[in-house]
Amino acid sequence: MSAWIDTGLTAFFDLIKPGARMLSVALAYPMDWTKALLQHTPWPLLVALVTALGWYVGGVRLAVLGFLGLSFVVASGYWVESMNTLSLVAVSVPLALLLGGATGILANEVPRVKSAVQTIMDVMQTVPTFAYLTPLLLLFGFGPVVGLIASAIYAAPPMARNVMLGLERIETDIKEAAIMSGGNRVQQLFLIEIPSAGTQIMVGVNQSLMAALSMVIIAAVIGGFNDIGWEVLLTMRKAQFGAALLAGLVIVAFAIVIDRISAGMARQQQRHSRQGALAIIAAGALAAVLAWLYLPAAGQLKLLVPVADWLDGRLTVFVRANGAALDSIKNTAMFYGLLPLRIGLDGAVLPFTWGFLWAGWMSAALFAASAAIGGVIALQGRVAAGLSMPILAGIIETGIAELPWPFVLIGAGAIGFVAGGRRLALFSVLMLTAVLLSGLWEKALWSLYLSGAAVLTCAIFGGAIGLICALSPLAWRVVQPICDMLQTIPLFVFLIPVLMFFQIGEFSAFLAIILYAIVPMIRYTRHGLVSTPPDLIEAAISSGATTWQTMWEVRAPYAAPTILLGLNQTILYAFAMLVIAALIGTTGLGQSIFLALGQADIGLGITSGAAMAILALVADRLVQGFAAERRRALGL
Amino acid sequence: MKAVTKKYLSAAAIYTASAAAGHAAELGAVDTPIKLALNEWTGQHVTTRIAGEMLKAAGYKVEYVTAGYMNMYRALAEGEIDAAMEIWSSNVSDEYAKQLEAGGVTEIGDLGLEAKEGIAYPAHVAEICPGLPAWEALKDCAGQFATAETLPAGRLVDYPADWGTPGADRVTGFDLPFKAVPAGSEGALITELRAATEKKSPLLITFWQPHWAMSAYDVQFVDLPVGEPACFDDPSWGPNPDATFDCDFTPTRVFKASWSGLADKWPAAGEILTNMQLSVEDQQPMMGQVDVDGQSVEETVDAWMQANPDKWQPVVAAATE
Repeated sequence: MSAWIDTGLTAFFDLIKPGARMLSVALAYPMDWTKALLQHTPWPLLVALVTALGWYVGGVRLAVLGFLGLSFVVASGYWVESMNTLSLVAVSVPLALLLGGATGILANEVPRVKSAVQTIMDVMQTVPTFAYLTPLLLLFGFGPVVGLIASAIYAAPPMARNVMLGLERIETDIKEAAIMSGGNRVQQLFLIEIPSAGTQIMVGVNQSLMAALSMVIIAAVIGGFNDIGWEVLLTMRKAQFGAALLAGLVIVAFAIVIDRISAGMARQQQRHSRQGALAIIAAGALAAVLAWLYLPAAGQLKLLVPVADWLDGRLTVFVRANGAALDSIKNTAMFYGLLPLRIGLDGAVLPFTWGFLWAGWMSAALFAASAAIGGVIALQGRVAAGLSMPILAGIIETGIAELPWPFVLIGAGAIGFVAGGRRLALFSVLMLTAVLLSGLWEKALWSLYLSGAAVLTCAIFGGAIGLICALSPLAWRVVQPICDMLQTIPLFVFLIPVLMFFQIGEFSAFLAIILYAIVPMIRYTRHGLVSTPPDLIEAAISSGATTWQTMWEVRAPYAAPTILLGLNQTILYAFAMLVIAALIGTTGLGQSIFLALGQADIGLGITSGAAMAILALVADRLVQGFAAERRRALGL
Repeated sequence: MKAVTKKYLSAAAIYTASAAAGHAAELGAVDTPIKLALNEWTGQHVTTRIAGEMLKAAGYKVEYVTAGYMNMYRALAEGEIDAAMEIWSSNVSDEYAKQLEAGGVTEIGDLGLEAKEGIAYPAHVAEICPGLPAWEALKDCAGQFATAETLPAGRLVDYPADWGTPGADRVTGFDLPFKAVPAGSEGALITELRAATEKKSPLLITFWQPHWAMSAYDVQFVDLPVGEPACFDDPSWGPNPDATFDCDFTPTRVFKASWSGLADKWPAAGEILTNMQLSVEDQQPMMGQVDVDGQSVEETVDAWMQANPDKWQPVVAAATE
């Protein structure tokens, strides 16, 4: 099948190649201009410009942030490389915002295309970039433009989703007011609705930006561009954690500065004095002259290299001191968590790990217990939850990676039926049958196991962290930069310590996936919980509710749709990370995608990518189906 | 840098004037820079920069272009990159074969780098499994190498899946009680070596030289019976009568390739790049100076070129004089 796809697609690509090449040339212009501009601006002046902008937008706080962020980049010695990266992002983010914004508005205006748009967004986010890298190279040629396009494709969906959600949630009286004031549809949309969806759209801009920056590394895998991602790849290849982290943090510094200043610009508030900004720029210009006279070029300042070396040394010392403890953490998680999930209790329960051998009567007892519990739940009227009990027992008994295919198809169909009726059941079964026929079934189950385990962990821990951050602004002040860092730093950087601690294998891959996929869960949970309309909260407080009661009775139900969007993103991110996890050494679909990349096999790449996207889509639709049922039950 | 190049150019002139007059190739388009691919590893940077400096000595302009090793062959076929100076036959993308067949890429000879691949271990592992480096010792030590994922078999870290599975082939070939676990990337392999060395923990890994990590982590190869072609198709050959692949790795060929139009556009450059040679004895110490001692590739290569003019000047001279 993948061979057939390979032939067909190659012919098709040859057909549209000339057009794609023209686009690629056209996109190279703005990028080269930005690059030339950034490279030729003296660095003290650029630092001053950003600091001045920070001051103008957000006063001392943002000025200090901008100054520190850019100074960090200067001190890292990666100035030239970062300017190259910045020029790529400067073109790809507007492209993604435009693309995502337009798609979101289109979906809002034409309800018929909405579900199609949502599916396309899911596909764009889940088909791993590496899977379509070979065709992109074929179409757009060699060099940074391919990275630019890949990053725009990946960064557009969060924007589109948030525009859609924002426009959807505008209160009807605002819409009615807009209609009554007599504007035409375009005026209503751009003058009233989009501004009032502002905060949600800004979440989209922020997420889009983060996604684009996180894709910088893909541009480096292709090469043709001496950017910061390339530095990360080189240092990662040598397992130099300190240096890789330093290069990765440069990307984080950019992300945080750009994000905070853009958020400040979006807020309607008093600007700070222009004189102050001009004074900062003048000081920067003066510093530029002085630097030109007395200091080496920005690329030559390597002030932080000793810090990186020290950090690398610390990692060594830590691993040496805690090797045994780390091994026991890994073994515990493997024996009592991951292995039973993968090969089932019947395979994982062995005398020398669990202390006894899994016997036939234990399986019988497990099934009987689950059937009994399921029956009780079903009798209480929750048929769905009741039905899933024996299914869960079956999964734990056999293990996800060893489930027979009829079980998976029937199980998914049944869950789909309960969660969303006949259509969802049919959708799940058909989609999974496609995977079965593609010949990648075993790998798909392996991937399902790994990302399923990760999503479960993310939902529990991410939800809890999000809740804590919603309750305590202090906690959020600590967690937010960590979230920004996890989302933008190329995760290759963390592969080094994770591998040093836990070696090549699925536990390391599991951890790597969690590091990335937990972020949307935290972010959206918190955002949902804190953005409850104040009048609702006031009403609750005045009727005597405690903080916890307000949380559970008012905030949580109101936040449910946002939290579920977070879960959707977590599922998609977990599948997306499978490819990066393959760099650690896993054997699922992620590995097939790398094989395809190595063999320039477009067919295998697309098939594996599609299989991965299908798994993510089905998992997501099932969860959303249950969520919709829950929402109806809550009367939302 | 410029001064260095000029000095060599005159040195080269004197050298060839005294030698027998060879044929001189046309220089070709000297004003267009020749683009050489810089891939992801230091050894390749060293090789490429030596090639680049040789071209500069002959009067060319050179541009170094960073390029992903696995993805650069289409660009090479379309002339967006002019030459790649170090391609390993053991893990070259299939795209290379496709482009070679289509005619956009031309192979321009071996580099002369004699590579060795094999099953290897950091030196401290010999204490954990005393019979090493004899391969038979692995049969009894397997339990020492076992981990949660591979129990009860031992764990052998293999190449990333897209480089092939030579480690797994040896496990079946020698019928070893091991399970081959593919690493995901070179970084993962190096990290395994580093962690095992720090923790003094057991590790068996598929590895190759020249590589800076060979000396940095004191990596030793397991002794395997020297391979003959029969080993790979006749099961009865070798210590295991029932399987093929019961012998050492076949030596990897390291070669150079160029855009097919290179020899026409810059004839002398084509000749220089084709004839350029670099040995393990020369490359490996330079890799060490860069990756272990922290020197830049530029200064390392410049110093080597100054100290070893006999290793590259004749090639430049033969093409230009």
